[in-house]
Amino acid sequence: MSEPILKLERVTKRFSGHVAVRELSLEVPSGGIFGLLGPNGAGKTTTLRMIMNIIVPDEGKVILFDGRKTGRGYSEQIGFLPEERGLYKKMKVVDHLAFLGETKGMKRKVAIQKAKQWLERLGLHDWTSKKVEDLSKGMQQKVQFIGTLLHDPQLVILDEPFSGLDPVNSQVMKDVVVEIARSGRTVMFSTHIMEQAEKMCDRIAIIARGEKVLDGSLTEIKRGYGKRNVALGFSNGGGRAAAAILQDRTLVSKVDDSGSTAEVELAPGAEAGRLLKALVDAGVGLVRFEVVEPSLESIFIAKVGAAAATPIASEAHHA
Amino acid sequence: MHKLWAVIRREFQTRVQSKAFVISTILGPILMGFLMVMPILMSSRDSEAKRVVVIDGAGGNFGQALERGLSESRRGNGAEAKPRYEVIRIPAQGRVQAVQDSLVPLTGLARDTVHRLDGLLIATDSGVETGVVKYLGDNVGSPSDMTTLENITQGVLLTERLQRRGVDPVLVREAASGRVQLETSKVSEGRLTGESGASSFLLAYAMAFILYLALLIYGIQVMSSVLEEKSNRIMEVLASSLTPFQLMAGKVVGVGAVGLLQLGIWVGSAMLLTSNAAAIAGLFHMPPGSVTQMPLPSISPALLIVFLAFFTVGFFLFAGLYAAVGAMCNTMQEAQQASTAVTVLVATAFFSIFSLLNDPNGSLARVFSLIPFFAPIVMPVRFSLTSIPLYEVALSFAITVLGLFGVAWIAGRIYRVGILMYGKKPSLKELFHWIRTG
Repeated sequence: MSEPILKLERVTKRFSGHVAVRELSLEVPSGGIFGLLGPNGAGKTTTLRMIMNIIVPDEGKVILFDGRKTGRGYSEQIGFLPEERGLYKKMKVVDHLAFLGETKGMKRKVAIQKAKQWLERLGLHDWTSKKVEDLSKGMQQKVQFIGTLLHDPQLVILDEPFSGLDPVNSQVMKDVVVEIARSGRTVMFSTHIMEQAEKMCDRIAIIARGEKVLDGSLTEIKRGYGKRNVALGFSNGGGRAAAAILQDRTLVSKVDDSGSTAEVELAPGAEAGRLLKALVDAGVGLVRFEVVEPSLESIFIAKVGAAAATPIASEAHHA
Repeated sequence: MHKLWAVIRREFQTRVQSKAFVISTILGPILMGFLMVMPILMSSRDSEAKRVVVIDGAGGNFGQALERGLSESRRGNGAEAKPRYEVIRIPAQGRVQAVQDSLVPLTGLARDTVHRLDGLLIATDSGVETGVVKYLGDNVGSPSDMTTLENITQGVLLTERLQRRGVDPVLVREAASGRVQLETSKVSEGRLTGESGASSFLLAYAMAFILYLALLIYGIQVMSSVLEEKSNRIMEVLASSLTPFQLMAGKVVGVGAVGLLQLGIWVGSAMLLTSNAAAIAGLFHMPPGSVTQMPLPSISPALLIVFLAFFTVGFFLFAGLYAAVGAMCNTMQEAQQASTAVTVLVATAFFSIFSLLNDPNGSLARVFSLIPFFAPIVMPVRFSLTSIPLYEVALSFAITVLGLFGVAWIAGRIYRVGILMYGKKPSLKELFHWIRTG
């Protein structure tokens, strides 16, 4: 693992009575894509805000780059797209981007030039001189995205970057994120959608209720859980016939039943072959039987239990 | 510094380009021009002499004297002044009522301008004795017309009474001629300032009014601008690369610069209009003197310095307060409610000047000069009205600057926490907590 570009050391943040983030330690290595995962209300946004020094941790330390300055001090090297994102409605797109560039220490001329290149690339060049309020929501989100990347930051931090985007625009932004990571820079993004992280991230950290549940490289994490999972696909009515077999705790320890498909975790000591034989013997119609790596979601649920996937009601109320 | 400049520039640019700014800036001079020209239009509309009949039922010279008094009255000054009345005297001793009845049908006719009469003034002996003189006309609702008529009648009546007691008419006329007029000059620090009493009062009042309006208008603009950034949710993007100080200072200075530009345009156009008053009057074929002069009394350099210094500090002080209010609220309604406290401070300072105008060195004036929230309006007004020892001005200024630092510190802390706080408006207790820990 290369030298970390970002380190959190036992960071804690409390808000009037409840703990939003508790003794969280993280290391984000330089280069690649790092996913900060967790259900809603887990403390992702608070963590990112503390990294940016928008709010100050009550305890613990945030170390960025060489650790000589805090988040805002490095704003020239960091691109931050918060979850609460907005734009000045009355400004022209290009003026707005120039202003955002300037707040990152860019020269106005350079910022305008860069902004035009990005607008061209994301298919917004016709909108350069239009007012922000004339843009659709998706287009505004692209403009915000450009504003984050305008100054070629070494570290890009995105809070729920793909929420509310249609598949086409979502793909455009994913391509950009992947390209940034390929160029040796670092992207850190938060999401509550596990599948998304699974596809893109090199490393992840899962937090729930303000505490770290799991972190490490995606491949290591999955290897740690071994190939103990079987993905099943049933032909018509097969699901019902299989139900009794999947209840057998000597064969199967956990079931994620989706009706026509299911993902099961084999019981300790059970073999995949035994399960297949049992299913075939019972005459269950199968269209898929595959030994797979566990999905992030199933790892997450295995690790913290389904209850943690939702924040505690009283805490959510305060947040 | 580069970032602060970017914030100021953005604030300035978007404001100056907004429709609201363009309209209000243009509307100012148009309104001023209108105020100048309106009296011309009004006076040219009724510059016709009024046709007044004196129904003379009195013995002696009262009727004739009234006729002479009315016909000598002129509208305006100088050679170009036109007679105010066209007077007809009808001797009507013993049949006043009958003459009056016959003339009323001709009075105040709207269409028949040839036979139209504007008013009937009735001269009787009882009028001379009691001082009650009857006038019937269609302009009795105009206070200025009635005052003129009263003044003329008053003089004539006085003369008539004295003559009836046997005083020499020449003597009477001599004694009655001319009215007392005070010619005032202001003395400050043992020197004549060249300002008249009226212009010094006007100056004080105008200054207070400009300060009051500017503090309120631009202060509230700062507030709504903060609120806009909050409700736009752009605040967090900005907060990741700008310090709360840069955000707040940039906004306040940006709005302040727009305010200065707007005031500058207004004052400049007022001066331009005044210096071209004669030409403007010419457009309406009126003598140069007939245009209302924009009151632009001469301002001493010392007063200008005091005015600008207190204005600047006062603006930052109140803009900081309004910014803090904007930061702790979520909607405009909420902010309007919360800002009442600040607005009351500005209003108190402004309304105190009515008492200051009478007693600029009284204890109220002295105490208010030492309160940072009031001094920005009170001190320039006092300074223009009377001579104030330098140390008192300096003390007042120092306290105001200290107040500004205090407000900036508190507002900055409220701002830092408030800008990212959505949802419920903080209670006073929470607010105190923000200030302590912010």
